[in-house]
Order: sequence, then C-alpha cells, then structure tokens
Amino acid sequence: MNVRAQLVMVFNLDKCIGCHACSISCKNIWTDRKGAEYMWWNNVETKPGVGYPKRWENQDKFKGGWIRENGKLKLRALGKGPTLLNMFFQPNMPKLDDYYEPFDFDYSNLYKAPPGSDQPVAEAFSQISGERMEEITNGPNWDDDLSGSQVYAVNDVNLKDSSLVSDYGRMFMQYLPRICNHCLNPACVASCPSRALYKRGEDGVVLVDQDVCKGWRFCTSACPYKKVYFNWQSGKAEKCIFCFPRTETGQCNACAHSCVGRIRHVGVLLYDADRVEEALLKPDDQLVAAHRKVILDPRDPQVRESARNNGVTDQWLEAAEKSPVYALVKEFAVALPLHPEFRTMPMAYYIPSLSPVISSGGDLHELADHGTFPLLEKMRAPISFLASLLSGGNEEIVAEILRKQIALRLFKRAGNLGQPIEESILKNAGLDEVGANKLYRLFTIAPYRERFIVPTQQREEQDPHERKGASGFGILKKTRGPK
Amino acid sequence: MLNSFIFIVMPYAALALLIFVTPYRFFSNRLTWSAYSTQFLERDRLFWGINPWHYGILPVLAGHFLGVIFPGPMKAILGNQNNLIIFESIGLALGLFAVFGCLALLLRRVNTPILKRVTFASDWVLLYLLAAQALSGVYVATFMRWGSQWYLHTVVPYFWSLATFNPQIEYMADFPLVFKLHAACAFLIVALLPFTKLVHLLYVPVHFLMDPPILYRWRSK
Repeated sequence: MNVRAQLVMVFNLDKCIGCHACSISCKNIWTDRKGAEYMWWNNVETKPGVGYPKRWENQDKFKGGWIRENGKLKLRALGKGPTLLNMFFQPNMPKLDDYYEPFDFDYSNLYKAPPGSDQPVAEAFSQISGERMEEITNGPNWDDDLSGSQVYAVNDVNLKDSSLVSDYGRMFMQYLPRICNHCLNPACVASCPSRALYKRGEDGVVLVDQDVCKGWRFCTSACPYKKVYFNWQSGKAEKCIFCFPRTETGQCNACAHSCVGRIRHVGVLLYDADRVEEALLKPDDQLVAAHRKVILDPRDPQVRESARNNGVTDQWLEAAEKSPVYALVKEFAVALPLHPEFRTMPMAYYIPSLSPVISSGGDLHELADHGTFPLLEKMRAPISFLASLLSGGNEEIVAEILRKQIALRLFKRAGNLGQPIEESILKNAGLDEVGANKLYRLFTIAPYRERFIVPTQQREEQDPHERKGASGFGILKKTRGPK
Repeated sequence: MLNSFIFIVMPYAALALLIFVTPYRFFSNRLTWSAYSTQFLERDRLFWGINPWHYGILPVLAGHFLGVIFPGPMKAILGNQNNLIIFESIGLALGLFAVFGCLALLLRRVNTPILKRVTFASDWVLLYLLAAQALSGVYVATFMRWGSQWYLHTVVPYFWSLATFNPQIEYMADFPLVFKLHAACAFLIVALLPFTKLVHLLYVPVHFLMDPPILYRWRSK
C-alpha cells in the first residue's frame, strides 16, 4: 500500500444553474492577461453540447487520454519515439478556431468618431491580431443554453438519439462545470518531453513548471479534457492550478468560493498509488467500481499508518476523515468521475443530475409507484446520456445514484409534510435514516466549513502578494513581447 | 582583413557569446526559453514549412558535425566514390528540402495577419539568416562539388586550429566569397542563438525516454 493524499472537488450537477460565476472569478484571478484571453481554466458547458473546445470529448479527432494495449496503458496519441518525431508539428493539437478568437470592443470609437449621419458603434477587434473583426462567429459559451442546438448539441458524442434535441416535448439540458481534473494518471504529465508538468506529491495538484516548459505542446493534445492551454504570447503551456496559493492557506478555490448554487465540495481523498494502473486496465463499464476501490478509508488504521509513512500529516488525516468528498464519492457513492474511459483517473467528481424532471402531464412521463418522480427510464435526461458522460457507459451505476437521490427527496418530503415514510424506500436505495440526513445536509444546507475542508500546507512561493500584482500566475519576470 | 574578421574574430566572438550568455539567460529568466510555436494560431501553412525545414536542416547540420568530430572515419568512408556520391546526393536533397521549408515559413510570416503580434524583429532576422544560410549551403553543394570530401581537408583542420587557439586561416583564405558568407552566416547564427528563440536547440529530450510516465515533485522530500 502506497497511500497518498489528493485534493478533490465534487460538483453537484443537480444544483448548477449555469450562471458562470465560477468562470468569471477564475478568469479575473488567473487568466485575465495577454496570451490567455481565450483560456477558461474553469468553464461551464451546456449539455448536450459540443463544449469547449468544440468536440473535446471526441477522441477520434483529438486523440487524448490513454488506451489499453496488450495489458498495458498507452497514450492514445503518441508513444515516446513518435513524440520525438512530431516535435515540430503536432498532428492532434486543437487550434484557435476550436476554442474561439478572443475579441474586445473599441469603445473609444463611441466618443472619438467624427461627426456623421450614423450613430458610432464600438467595433469588435481581435485580441490576438488587433485587426477589426467584421463578424464574430464564435465566443465563450457560444452554444449556451442549447443555442444553435442544430449545429452544436446534435453533435454531442454522448447523445445516442440526437433527435431529442429537436423534439420540444422531450428536449432537456443541464450544465457541466469543468476544471482540470488533477488526474491520478495524467496524460498531460506523461506526454511532456521536457518533464515540465508534474503532480505535486503533497496534494496531487498537477502543475506546469513555467521555467522548464519549452512549449512543445504535447500536453495540450494529450489531455483528453483539453484542460491544458497554450499561451500564444509566452509560448508555454498553462492550466488550472487548483488555486494552490489559496488552498495552501486553507481557503477553497476561487471557483468553488464564488459558486452561488453552492454545488461544489472540496476535500481530501486518500488513495493507493500502487493500485491506480491495475484499476485503469479494467473494461470501461467497471472503471467506476475500480476508481472507488483505489480510494481508501481514512479511518482504517493501516491506511493511516501507511499515509504517515508517506509524509501525510495528522492535520491532513483529520481533514480526510471529515472530507465531504470522501462522503460523496466513497461512503454514499453518489459522485462519479467525468469520462472515466479516458483512463486518466480524474479527481473531479460529479453527482449526476436528477433534473430536469418534473413534467408529469401527458403520456411522456409515466410516474413511478410513489407518484412524484417519473420512472428512471422516462427521465428527461436519458440515463444512457449520463452514463456515457460519467460512468463509462454503465447505466446501472447511474440508476443507483438517481434512486438514492429520489429516495432522499421522498424521505425529506415525508418528513416536511409530517407523513410517515416507508422504511423500504430508503433501504431499497441503499440508505438509512442517519445517512440520509447527512447526505441531505451535504446537498443543501452545509455551510462553508462543511462543504470545504481544505487543510493548510507549506507554501509553494513565499511572495504571493508580489506575484498577484505581476503579469499573471507565478510570472514575475517579463515574458516576450511588448508590455 | 575580411578573412581575419570572418575566420578569427567571428568564431571566437560567437563562441564567447554562446558560452557566457546562454547560462546567464538560463539562470536569469527562463520564462523566455521557448520555441515560440505559432501552430496554435495557424497550422495549415506551418505544416508545409516546419516539417521540411527541421527534417532537412537537422541531418545536414549533423553531417557538418560528423566531419569535425570524426574526421578520420569520415575520410575513410568518403574515400569510396560510391559513398561520396550517395552522401552528396542525400545532403543536397535535404538541403533543398530545408530551403523549401524555410522559404515556406518566411512566406507564411508575411501572409498570415494573425501572426503579426507574435512576430518580432528577431523572428525576421532569424528567418532571413537561416534562409541565406540554407541557400548558400545549397549553392556550395551544387557548384563546389564534393564538399563533403574537401570539407574534411580544409574546414575541419581549421576548426581544430580554432579549438587549440592557433587559428590557421590559410585553410579558408582562398575560398570564393559565397563560401565565406556561408561561414560568416553560421558564426552569426551561433552568436544570435543565446539571444533568440533558437535556444530551443539546446534541449534534446532524452531523460523523457527513460523516465516513468508520471512525474511527482515533493516539496517536503
């Protein structure tokens, strides 16, 4: 057993309202600078949709992540030898158009324009070339809330039946907030020939050493989530840093902090580093179970002993015991990894959404016995869709979680109305009363210090205030180009 | 006078800059240590420039070094006429390939508006210099036949005389001007290397081949 600690975020998709407060707070802190205009370390996509960058889930196109070959894990895109042969030109790298060309508006024209017969307008210009843009054809969240669904949402790879998108009676949508997953088996790290990307041992955060990165760009193609970005100004790769200057001091990440829906939980997980590879060799539909096995019980004395030997402090062990993430991912097993079949073992987990659900009229929605929710097979968001997104296609795992959520709601509903509750409802869903109350609290009224249990640690840099005012994350010195 | 400048002043100045400026840049600001790829902004034309350029110039460059490092074995191999013809033909073909790539890259910079903001004076200087170097190299290979052979008896001893601080420019003095330009250009490129994006040449990823895939860094260990 080789026990390590990992800081993990859980997203409750049932509560995400797609307000983008997370994206904005992240942008303001980390990527509001030259070369990074197009980057959204945190972004929120509408599902079904093609996402950001467009069609990132389509690995036939982008060749990200790992595959199994002869009982071993192998990067889907390039082995080590071919990596050296493709250093000059990256065959699978997403290009600017796959994201969007960042733009701004020339507001000065509003008061500088010479007198004329028309009202002056603030014209759009490219933030890269500085040239005027006649027409803006793409932008952040271009397909927000199913806009242009016939162009974008129909191409969602998770959607088995794309006619859903054009049938107004059956259409559904939900949001998918995404950050870097800080994977246990990160493809970006494995693909870097300069060895600039690394996993920080103490908390598992995946970082790019800006000094070591030479801009070979293999990480941008290898990451199946397309969460490593190329800064066109500095010529180096950048990615979500899990707000390490904040988490080191015990604060939660900016995205999680600003979340108005309070959908996010941050906490410590202990895992067995020696069992990661073996778990990832399982077939797609068994991957979630394998994920859960790799995560260890922080109350187990043997686990604690091994963790201590690896330098995990008592403070971290205590945080791991109280971790809301452990409760959601392992104890109640209601949170799932995003696309586990990419085999990077992502460490961001998602509670699948029960909603959109209520529309009991007509024959579209046949209600289950208890009369409040439709049958699982008749849910608006098809289980197959959620399974494709979150469980490597295993529909039973998703159904289990939805049953738990339904049982929980029925339990609380009965409690609120003072009605008796049939014990079998909780029991059939694998819950008991104590557990149901704990889960209810986590899902709803848990305050800041219960949703985020982030233990402090040694600081990476000693001058955060100086750096905050400098030209971006960790960059004190001048990069190339005009100031 | 010109000979002394090109064959004594330039190589030593270039070498001095390479030796002293490179570590200075490495230790003072590695944030500029990048190949400054522009593939993200424009990839279609890049494909036709960057691949021919690198796959052409790298073997040719390696050939130049081979002669300097192993003059004896090279003389023996190229003493055989068949070997010489094969070596020269491959070299010329690769040289033409590199010229094609370099010109494609140059035209791309001119014709792609989105690259305007990421193109600096140093990019232009390098592109023109490298184009001139590749073109003059192809000229030498075409009109001053069997260069791989006479190189071993002129340039290589000259290089070794540089290394022993006893520069013997007689080896180079009687070459035609275009060849001297080729040499001067080479020294200039070496001199500019530590100041420009050419520093990406100084890193060959070999550790990567042996390392385990996932790299950890511990602050406490």
